Amino acid sequence: MAGKFCVSLTHAKDNTDKATVAFVIANAAVGSEQETMVFLSSEGVRLGVKAYADDIHEQGFAPLKELMANFAAAGGTIYVCSPCFKRRNLDQNNLVAGAKIVGGAKLVEFLTTGSPCVSY
Amino acid sequence: MNQADPDHVDADWDAGDMGCGELILELRTRVRAMRPGQVLRLIARDPGAIEDLPAWCRMTGHRLNRAEHPTYFIQRKED
Repeated sequence: MAGKFCVSLTHAKDNTDKATVAFVIANAAVGSEQETMVFLSSEGVRLGVKAYADDIHEQGFAPLKELMANFAAAGGTIYVCSPCFKRRNLDQNNLVAGAKIVGGAKLVEFLTTGSPCVSY
Repeated sequence: MNQADPDHVDADWDAGDMGCGELILELRTRVRAMRPGQVLRLIARDPGAIEDLPAWCRMTGHRLNRAEHPTYFIQRKED
């Protein structure tokens, strides 16, 4: 991998356009041989739950479920904000492929080792 | 294989209107499946491809032998 790249996403069904574009960009990053991590926080953590994204399909883009699956299959990592996840009473035993529940230190570690970050 | 021939092509892919991350991720998969030195002729009609494909080649080390939008000749780098 040539470098690191972070995509921070704070939306899910409250803004499916942003949620979709975030994963399109994440796929561009992982496809460009960057060690890529999507950080889901606030409402975005809902995307970390299996099947949640199944009905999100923005016109002009592939279905979000497919974008996320392709991202994980290409080696991308999804970090899910632990307190954001807990306060929504979501199921930590039902995460999508490539997702891990993390605290803020994991994000800080990733960014302080030289990763740029784009936010949606 | 005659890679001295500037028109030599080992694989073809018409990506149609696919663009941005979808195009890049699929391109990565296809180029990885090729052998070092082999050339992919890619048709990519998305207007973003004009800037994206040279940038992708610079980042990954694969060589953009020739580009005349929407046709791009990408040579897989040595391992």
